[in-house]
Amino acid sequence: MSSSGARWPIARRDLASLSREKTIVLALLIQLFIAAFSSFLVVGLTSLYDPSAIDDGAEIEVAITGDAEQQLLDAARETDGLETVSYEDRAAALAAFDRGAVTAVVSAEYAATDSGDRIDVEAVVPAESLRTTLIVNQLRELLVELERLERVDRAQFLEFQPVDVPGETGGSDYFSFTYTILIPLLLFLPPFISGSIAVDSITEEIEQGTLELLRAAPVSLVDVVDGKAAAMISLAPLQAILWILLLRFNGIGIDHIPWLLALVAALATITVVVGVLLGLATARRRQAQLLYSILVLLLFGATLVLPEHPAATVARLSVDSATALTFAHVGGFAVLAVALAAFTRFYVANFDPEAL
Amino acid sequence: MRLRNVLRIARWEVTKNAGGIDRRTLAVAVAAIALLGLIAPLAASGGGPSLDDGLYHVGVDDDSQYYDVVRDDDTFVVRRADRAALGDSVDLLIEGDDITAANTQKGEAARQEFRSSVQSYNNRKLRQEVNATAAFPVSVLLEYREQSGVDSGLVDQPDGADGDGGAGDGTGDGDGGTGGDGDGGDGDGGTDGGDGGTGGDGDGTGGGTDGGDGSDGDGRDDTGNGSGDDTGDGSGTVDPGDSGDLGGITGPLSGEGISGSPADISPPFPFQSLVLAFVFVIPMNFLIQAYGSTILSERINRRGELLLVSPVSRYDIIAGKTLPYFAGAMVVETAIAAGVFYLLQGQVGGLVSVFAVAPLVLLFLGATFLGAMFARSFKELTFVTVTITVSLTSYAFVPAIFTDVDEIALISPLTLVVRELQGEAISLGSIVFSTTPPLLVALVCFGLGAGLYREEDMFAQRSVPGRVIDALAGPITRRWHVGVMTAVLVPFVFVVQLLAIAALFALGEIAIVLLLVVVAITEEFAKSLHVYAAYEHRRFERSVRGALVLGFASGLGFFLAEKIALLAQLVGLEQLAAGEAGLSGGVAPESGPILLLFLLAPLALHAVTASISAVGASRGKGQYLIAVAIAMGVHLAYNLGVVLTYVQ
Repeated sequence: MSSSGARWPIARRDLASLSREKTIVLALLIQLFIAAFSSFLVVGLTSLYDPSAIDDGAEIEVAITGDAEQQLLDAARETDGLETVSYEDRAAALAAFDRGAVTAVVSAEYAATDSGDRIDVEAVVPAESLRTTLIVNQLRELLVELERLERVDRAQFLEFQPVDVPGETGGSDYFSFTYTILIPLLLFLPPFISGSIAVDSITEEIEQGTLELLRAAPVSLVDVVDGKAAAMISLAPLQAILWILLLRFNGIGIDHIPWLLALVAALATITVVVGVLLGLATARRRQAQLLYSILVLLLFGATLVLPEHPAATVARLSVDSATALTFAHVGGFAVLAVALAAFTRFYVANFDPEAL
Repeated sequence: MRLRNVLRIARWEVTKNAGGIDRRTLAVAVAAIALLGLIAPLAASGGGPSLDDGLYHVGVDDDSQYYDVVRDDDTFVVRRADRAALGDSVDLLIEGDDITAANTQKGEAARQEFRSSVQSYNNRKLRQEVNATAAFPVSVLLEYREQSGVDSGLVDQPDGADGDGGAGDGTGDGDGGTGGDGDGGDGDGGTDGGDGGTGGDGDGTGGGTDGGDGSDGDGRDDTGNGSGDDTGDGSGTVDPGDSGDLGGITGPLSGEGISGSPADISPPFPFQSLVLAFVFVIPMNFLIQAYGSTILSERINRRGELLLVSPVSRYDIIAGKTLPYFAGAMVVETAIAAGVFYLLQGQVGGLVSVFAVAPLVLLFLGATFLGAMFARSFKELTFVTVTITVSLTSYAFVPAIFTDVDEIALISPLTLVVRELQGEAISLGSIVFSTTPPLLVALVCFGLGAGLYREEDMFAQRSVPGRVIDALAGPITRRWHVGVMTAVLVPFVFVVQLLAIAALFALGEIAIVLLLVVVAITEEFAKSLHVYAAYEHRRFERSVRGALVLGFASGLGFFLAEKIALLAQLVGLEQLAAGEAGLSGGVAPESGPILLLFLLAPLALHAVTASISAVGASRGKGQYLIAVAIAMGVHLAYNLGVVLTYVQ
């Protein structure tokens, strides 16, 4: 062990080479792309589901036929965004549907069963239309309402009395998506990329033969690895801060920021340790990268056995629903990270560089 | 190019390559993948903790009728009903029948979530009722049908579901839909009406895996047959809408009809596309890592020098080095296709799927090859491969989301896979439409990369933008080469525009304007970047007259190549307003003089804008950027003008 100060110049050198190649800009762009892409997905998809997305507030015209027509009309009165038109028979309604005069056809007939009459509904909606999603959603509202009314009528045959369903409100559908998918994604990507660069950083020195030169300088292999690892680990929380600020700027409040950063740093330490160990063990980039991506995927999959998935930990922290279990998970990851880092230093100190 | 040389280099690549995968690595990798395979069913079954567990804190007393609802749904954490805590440690407060949400986004979201939770709680409880008809008094059969009176601009044969619209099936379906009486066999009858034998299969898995929950995600489960599925209460914890389980995947794949109680019907959501995108694309990502490494390692320490001085052409080297990876990828993809077909349809198939995936494989390899020729170091290569992964995965995935919009979906070759799985007729036009652009782009990538595969470029340390300039300037030695180069870049433009159409069209009116902006940016860069590169490499005299000639050549090249856009008309993409805006070059009206005008106007536009940027390019970087911005403005103004005239 020589001067412990030697690792800082090495960390600085690695960071400088990243900024010189401007690759870190590329990394941020990738993450921005993913973020934009997933929020597009959500906004785009929810706009398909949202009744207010219908142009000029035009309602969906539904043709209604069958003996249970009156029940359907009653249900439709309780449902927003639907306009009903009664038709003589199903054939006439289907003809109107085919012309495009109505958007959907709902025919309801009574059918006898062992335990009373049931209403059999046949609904026809347009195939291959952008509005199909919306139409099906509206029909579902209508039919659920019909079901509710029918259940009320038949309450004396039921042992369990259904709980009242609270009314529809304007809550955002993608609130939970933002916290359970988008934020975890943005916070987990930086550690993953850091580990991948750690693999490159180690194997590159070995393959280019520059590790020999570094070792000729008065630094130990531990210093070299320490420096490289420190540089990569520090990158992840920095990116995380950037995302958190950006999201806050967009009106998405994020709580427990220090805890989130601690979690990101711990995860980055774990991935970087995996990367460094693989880099030294294989000494070849191709092997190391392949194994790295598979192993990290495996580790991520293995977190399923935890009582709380890391993505759920991030979600609960950022949405301010954290419990003691959540904090325990962050602590657990931190302990694991420190232990792995200590093991790596031990491994590197006993590593024979001549074997490379 | 000589086949013998190519094969020999391919053999070296497999057996002797310095960076080859050794046995130890292979063993570890296989073991890790096997372990992943063990986890996968756990993840797929939703057996692990759900992501939104414990997201909302609900204050409710244990004598409330809603207490069990909150307790049974893992999304909620039960708290004491305390009004003082509302908005602080409680997001939703339930006092008696009074439900108050905290005055925050989170409170509103909690209320929304609570509403659907109550619905599924009711359905879950009612499923245990003796009187199934009273518990589920309504049984629904949903059918998707084409409206012939409404123009949706389709060329393809409509889905299989449309074929069964006859009255006879209608009654058959009616019987099948009697899920309410607890007879599983009836359920099968219903699906048979929907889509032949395969429908029955899909139904089996659908009902089996999540018959018990009140989930609305699965199109086909017969939750209606209450009495049969009572025991499924355990799986009832799966939230409505959370249908990433197997039933949700196989359900929509097996046909189009939906039957069950009202809560079960749900809009078609393309889980199959999502799953397929991942199943087919993930192996690619491992592959391109290895491929990028082998290409870049040739460039490190001048290792590739030995092959370069040997008596084989660089095309032999590139083809030889690529062949094993392409062959390997095709073997894997074929196995996946066959496996998917066997699993979902119980029969051998997937030939069209293999054809559809091949251009995608080539595109991944081509982009990685070019990326590896650009990158200076392994670190840089890592970023380049991640970029390729992300952008190509979204290229394969985004259009496939809109499976119910024919024209958009076909942009992605994966849609062909979905169609084949559904047993639909696939027209030749749609195959050509969805596979040609990626194939052309892949070839262009290989071509540009090959241009750099020379001693003087390969080992030079230059930045990525510098290398892009090198690659573009490489093939240009005469003025007319500029036009050819523009034409070569058109597939890139085409792919970017297609992706933009897929990504933007859901936004409605504003999409057209945004798309025109994308069009102006991509087309102007495609017409001028290589002109700038050629000037930077001092291929031409820097004069205004010369620049005008280059500009015209570039504009003409673009105009001719843009006729590829005619391809789009094969599947009627231009029926879509957004599609029309993107590819307006290919639309022609009927009458004579106007036809001439419509043919000449785009040519004039392309020549003028290309000349503007060419003049700028001849005067250095700053001037070039300004000139390109001006050209984009002109282009945008022209396109807006055309679109506005069309609309009126």
